[in-house]
Amino acid sequence: MKHNQHTKTNNFFIKQTKSDWLKSLGERRIKNKFNNIFFDPIYFQNNRKNITHNKDGEWAITHKIKIKNSLTANSEALKILNLGVNSITFINPDNSDLNTLLKNIQIDIIRINFEKVFDVDKFITMFHKFCVKNEINSNNLKGFINCKSLTKDKYYKYKKILPNFQFLKIKTTSFKKKSIQKYIDFKNILFVHNINKNMIEEISFLRSFRINIEQSKNISPFIEAIINTRNSNYHKLIETCSKSVTAILGGCDSIIVNSKIRDTLKIQQQLILKYESNLNKVSDSLHGSYLIEEMTNSLLDSEKNNFKLSFENNYWAGPEEIKLKSKYNQKDAEGLSHIKYGVGKPPYLRGPYLTMYCDKKWTIRQYAGFSTAEESNKFYKKNLKAGQSGLSVAFDLPTHRGYDSDHPRVFGDVGKAGVAIDSVEDMEILFNGIDLNNISVSMTMNGAILPIMAFFIVVAKKNGVKLKNLRGTIQNDILKEFMVRNTYIYPPNPSMRIVSDIFKYTSKNMPKFNSISVSGYHMLEAGASADLEIAYTLADGLEYVRTGLKAGLNIDDFAPRLSFFWGVGMNFFTEIAKIRAARYLWTELIQEFNPKNPKSLMLRSHCQTSGWSLIAQEPENNITRTTIEAIGAVFAGTQSLHTNAMDEAISLPTNSSAKIARDTQLYLQKETGICNFIDPLGGSHYLETLTDSLIKNARSYINEIEKVGGMSKAIDLGIPKLKIEKSAIQRQSSIDLNKSLIIGLNCFKTKNNKRIKILDINNELVQKKQIKKITNLKKKRHVNKVTNLLDKLTSCCRNNNENLLSIAIEAAELGATLGEISFACEKVFGRYQAKTIMNTGVYEKKHINNKQFMSARKLSDKFELNNGRRPRILAAKLGQDGHDRGIKIIATCFSDIGFDVDIAPLFGTPEEVAKQAVENDVHIVGISSLAGGHKTLIPKLINSINTYGENKIMIVVGGIIPKKDYNFLYKSGVSQIFGPGTIVSQAALEVLKKLTDGIK
Amino acid sequence: MELSDYLKGIKNNNRYIIAKAISLVESTLKKDKKKASELVDRCLNFSSKSIRIAISGNPGVGKSTFIEALGSYLVDKKLRTAIITIDPSSTISGGSILADKTRMNNLSKNKYAYVRPAANDCELGGINKNTRDTISIFETAGYDVIIIETVGVGQSEIDVHSITDIFLYLTQSENGDILQFIKKGILEICDFIIVNKIDLDLEKSKSLKFLIENNLKLIKSRSQSVFLCSAIKGNYIDDIWSGLKDLFEKNWKKGKIQSIREKQNINWCKQRLKKQIFKKIEDSCTYKKNIKKLENKNLKNPNTFLLEIIEGLKLN
Repeated sequence: MKHNQHTKTNNFFIKQTKSDWLKSLGERRIKNKFNNIFFDPIYFQNNRKNITHNKDGEWAITHKIKIKNSLTANSEALKILNLGVNSITFINPDNSDLNTLLKNIQIDIIRINFEKVFDVDKFITMFHKFCVKNEINSNNLKGFINCKSLTKDKYYKYKKILPNFQFLKIKTTSFKKKSIQKYIDFKNILFVHNINKNMIEEISFLRSFRINIEQSKNISPFIEAIINTRNSNYHKLIETCSKSVTAILGGCDSIIVNSKIRDTLKIQQQLILKYESNLNKVSDSLHGSYLIEEMTNSLLDSEKNNFKLSFENNYWAGPEEIKLKSKYNQKDAEGLSHIKYGVGKPPYLRGPYLTMYCDKKWTIRQYAGFSTAEESNKFYKKNLKAGQSGLSVAFDLPTHRGYDSDHPRVFGDVGKAGVAIDSVEDMEILFNGIDLNNISVSMTMNGAILPIMAFFIVVAKKNGVKLKNLRGTIQNDILKEFMVRNTYIYPPNPSMRIVSDIFKYTSKNMPKFNSISVSGYHMLEAGASADLEIAYTLADGLEYVRTGLKAGLNIDDFAPRLSFFWGVGMNFFTEIAKIRAARYLWTELIQEFNPKNPKSLMLRSHCQTSGWSLIAQEPENNITRTTIEAIGAVFAGTQSLHTNAMDEAISLPTNSSAKIARDTQLYLQKETGICNFIDPLGGSHYLETLTDSLIKNARSYINEIEKVGGMSKAIDLGIPKLKIEKSAIQRQSSIDLNKSLIIGLNCFKTKNNKRIKILDINNELVQKKQIKKITNLKKKRHVNKVTNLLDKLTSCCRNNNENLLSIAIEAAELGATLGEISFACEKVFGRYQAKTIMNTGVYEKKHINNKQFMSARKLSDKFELNNGRRPRILAAKLGQDGHDRGIKIIATCFSDIGFDVDIAPLFGTPEEVAKQAVENDVHIVGISSLAGGHKTLIPKLINSINTYGENKIMIVVGGIIPKKDYNFLYKSGVSQIFGPGTIVSQAALEVLKKLTDGIK
Repeated sequence: MELSDYLKGIKNNNRYIIAKAISLVESTLKKDKKKASELVDRCLNFSSKSIRIAISGNPGVGKSTFIEALGSYLVDKKLRTAIITIDPSSTISGGSILADKTRMNNLSKNKYAYVRPAANDCELGGINKNTRDTISIFETAGYDVIIIETVGVGQSEIDVHSITDIFLYLTQSENGDILQFIKKGILEICDFIIVNKIDLDLEKSKSLKFLIENNLKLIKSRSQSVFLCSAIKGNYIDDIWSGLKDLFEKNWKKGKIQSIREKQNINWCKQRLKKQIFKKIEDSCTYKKNIKKLENKNLKNPNTFLLEIIEGLKLN
């Protein structure tokens, strides 16, 4: 079947209305009570109200300072302003010296507020004098002075001096229009609102409050959100983040967080929401949302919306280069073809299930695994007890790549980025005491899928669990490994044959098991934009569907068991739109295969918050980031979710960071009330426009892949890899140029170098334990029988006469190890070696006017002039760590700067990399380490280089290196270390300077 | 390091010193150039009977994969093999990406192999000015086979032909009318034509081989062989090697190789001289000034201006 055009399918699916949805529900009704009115959990296009307000997306970050003496209050204010605050509230200002208090504070740029003013009259006079003396036009100042009693005379007097100030503070909840004296202008009132934990209701309330006043008074009120935290077990940043999102989406003018959190974290949370999640870009971003408009409307006094919009539209664009506006109205979303669709029915735009979280909350599934099976098992049990609802196993790199822990190539990687599993025995220990009948298990395994599935099945059988009851997911998405993740073993063709054998086996024997999890996550992490992530993931999915069909399966036999895995990044609305767009597109694609079962068309999602978005500076900010991303995943309607721990950018999670990560989800499920609603953002003109753009962009990328003959072919040609890498370089250069902001990294940097506790794995110890287990196993098993079965496996690889998984299961039962099973196949299939194709000139293009970039380039020219050749660097990864995004970005940027850049093949041992460095006579070896093997592998590399002769090769390391390991590495001979988020041109400059100094 | 240290190291096949020696001949510094020239002089006394093979072909035809296959076959026979690969430098930044080892995974690890990638220093042509000297160093170190891979564009075939004994041209059947793509002149200079990627379509490959053979008959200048090959599967590598070896041995016995090498040296000198002179002119102030003027000028009749420049540079 050819898929050249995916446009005609619209007619296949039926529009959904409220009554359709209610009919599908049968007798049952779900209602939510709010403000004494009952609401349905979902609303639709046909009954949408359309009301909006006139405020832009910005808000003030307000901070309170109690004045004890003017000098300290001033220095505190300056410090806070430096952190990014743009509104200060001084408390008790009566006796302070304004010249000292306000020294160096640009009060005409920020908001300046005064609370607890005893003698307002006197204070305002004093303040006025101060302004006159300093030549500040008080007419332009913005802020608030709290006046307890405000007579008409006084009001007019104050207003004359400070026309843009607020003098009255009124709680939104106790506000009645009639109680306000007629002479008071509403722009001189400060409305304060205590943000409640229920997200949807609060958003609706805030909108209605503003719209009500806009309609009756023709002025947009100033609303300040107060965020308090309660005493609870949840980390306070989770609560303040969730409430801040509420306040922002509701459209507040100012936010104050009252909580015992460090000021930096409090303030940077707001900055992250603005600049990383782009929540300040669009005015009333939920305008149009069926549910929220309905709720807002129910709270309005009148239904007429006679307020004229006087909005000036600005334009902006994210990495997808979709042109976005600062305000969306009904006109923008009119005529979008997708918006008529609903939930629980194809094309599943608004969610795969009819009732979504009302009946079944998403599964809290934390990805974990480290060290030995024993250690990981303990950790799993603890998590399950603490409220986690599913397991997700992370395997170490040697396991992924089909090597036993005793293989000579894997030194340094055993037990590092996951758990080491060598045999059925390890797998048995891993699930010891965990009821596989009830707990669903997800396993991230692609390369060594045969032995791992075999071990899992054997253990289930041993534990008396029937295969037909086994629930869970195996990643089994080998195509994306060739594109981004690089933990493959065999070349694409035989790998796809294994996928098809897994399909055949599971569709027959394990009907509840997801036989594949088609993954976009790793593309996002590798730097793909949202539209690329959708397109390539779905194109992978299509390829698997064809593989299944080719294997003789019926589409309905296996399509319902395909699941998807997305990354959720910081760009809030884009990420929500992404998953909705993907659901829609997938139905469109699968419809062409004429499935009978509507479940075949259903895209079910697992989401993980983006690890790439986390940074090492101020790790607690990562709690904020993860919370925002989690809210996004939930608004998008995910079926299960992993939330990253805040230290994920540095190392493996510790017990306490893992708890905070898990709590983020528990908080959202239990406290915010968002589970009572279905696609609550659906209908938002902004969101739907974005969804539409993503559908269109992704569709054209998919067609591009189809044109060359599908994903396998496209991978062979290197198309997706190049596109993703290009997107990654562009992302990097926009960070390096401060066009994309990351708080604490390229802006609002703080000096706090607080070290957080991290988990360290002694991999030599783990390896010793594993080797002992393997040796024991090999002693007690029946050697001949094992050898016979392995031979059988090899011959089956050659002749394709039996299901590979069935034979692997037999072999596993007899005690064959992971390495042996993998090697039996490798004998026929071979081991895949990636081709390296590189982008060049992409970084240069964006940087040509950048000072730092140009001075780095000059320095490299100068180097050649003085040394007779260009600076030469070998860019390498060590061991089984295949995450090559970082090293590729470095390679292409450095070559754009003027280096000769050698690239080492992936998966080299320290000795092999040393040989290449010496042969090529490079000045520098640059190692990128992301899987934690640095402490063993890098000293080995240096020793190995030194065996060749007196040597001056400079060693530079980048990637995820915990601060506490820096000294160790320096002592071993490393000359520079660059952490996550380094600006590349700056790194190049530093490396060049050091190199030049070293040669002198 | 002293010259004698270099020489000793090279003769002992010390990887580190060979690497340094190659860097020395690559250097653009005046003092290095002199030293390098002396070193090459002394190396020439130790030249051995190594086979110098050039490998060329369009991008994407599988040159690296072929070298990986042929090289792996040779090192398995314990033949010491050196590979020189040449990649283009960016004319803007001067930098380059040398990713050849990622495509020669096996060779990059093997102790009998030495893979040395080099940038072409923005010179047109498939080799750089030092490739020839690098060959001398590898020969002094006793390498049995020296393979030079070129970027496969522009002048490269002619250039590389002038420093090697045997010329291999790779092609594939993917595009039906491939013959038109084989550049003019290549059929004349090459010794072997390899039809690669036969695993993709054996029939088409066979008919391509037939076509090429017919074409070669028209040239009739000398005997050239056409081989089928699948580098990725390692098919026919042994046949190709014995063909290569036989040709080399035959010509060596006849003394043909030696005489060709001498001729090549003369040609090499001429070529270098041309390039050097051009570079000298290019670097001169008069030239730079005039070019700048030229770029800012609205030219109606270029000839007048051209004459002016030629006069200015005293080239007439």
